Amino acid sequence: MSGPLSSPLSAAVLTRRSLLAAAVAGTALLTVACTGSAGDAADAVTPEQVDQLAAQVQVQAQLVSAYDQALAADPALAATAGPLAEQARAQLERLRAAAPGSTPSAAASPTGAPAVDPAGARAWLHTRVTLAADAHTAACPEFTGGRAALLGSIAAGLRGQQGQLA
Amino acid sequence: MADDGTSTTSASPTAAEDGALQEALAAAHAAVWGYGVVGAALPVESREPVVAAEQAHQDLRDELTGLLTSRQVDPVDDEAGYALPFPVLSAIDAAALAVTLEEGASGAWTWVLDQAVERSTRELAVAALTAAELRAVGWRAQAGSTPVTSTFPGLPEA
Repeated sequence: MSGPLSSPLSAAVLTRRSLLAAAVAGTALLTVACTGSAGDAADAVTPEQVDQLAAQVQVQAQLVSAYDQALAADPALAATAGPLAEQARAQLERLRAAAPGSTPSAAASPTGAPAVDPAGARAWLHTRVTLAADAHTAACPEFTGGRAALLGSIAAGLRGQQGQLA
Repeated sequence: MADDGTSTTSASPTAAEDGALQEALAAAHAAVWGYGVVGAALPVESREPVVAAEQAHQDLRDELTGLLTSRQVDPVDDEAGYALPFPVLSAIDAAALAVTLEEGASGAWTWVLDQAVERSTRELAVAALTAAELRAVGWRAQAGSTPVTSTFPGLPEA
């Protein structure tokens, strides 16, 4: 039972959510600015959107890197932040799958980054999660179709993470 | 009750968006009803988040009703009755039902994001989706669910 309550709505939402997931996964196969009959026009992206989506991938990659840095600085954070880091990593992978031309090598590297103060690692990480959530929330309305849904979903997920790090 | 909003908006450029908004409205109706059950299963001193959540869904219901009406779309009514997905016999059950309600709302708002053609609608949707997930986090904790956060609120995890 995945719908809000038992009603005919439940089946409709489930079906459409499944379609939505397929649409998001399929967008990576579309060529840039494709508006042909092979894809949903709402999931076509302009060159500007390609750049912006790449920026959101970078935001998420930096967040994943921030989790790695914070956990390295303060291993005691692992119980709380470890599962959140895995969620952030899964979000990054889904974003990359939806971004035309995105490659795993585009991940932000912590190499050369200033060391995180173990005493302040949690607060530092909280700030990084907040900044990433802010960026995805602001970017979401710039897109349409599956990419808007994905960015909105990730933004909401990160807001939930914020509270766990407060 | 219109089933998907298309019966009155087939020629409208916002027909698909309106259909998704109808589903969000139906989810809001269900949530308002469901929080009545949640509140009844919790002690009085624990009902503050129930009241806040119910008010949030009522506000969204009213906003959606106004938006659809302004587009000459007949907004869906609440159902004559709803069936609970499981018996609500304890505070844990109540929290689990609240999670179900919020996740249902999240699914509907994510679908709005997918279907929306108006930027203002996407702004409304991402705010509503975020609020639903924040409430869901609190209820998952009370229900003893782990993790309390969701990787992709409103979307399938896989």
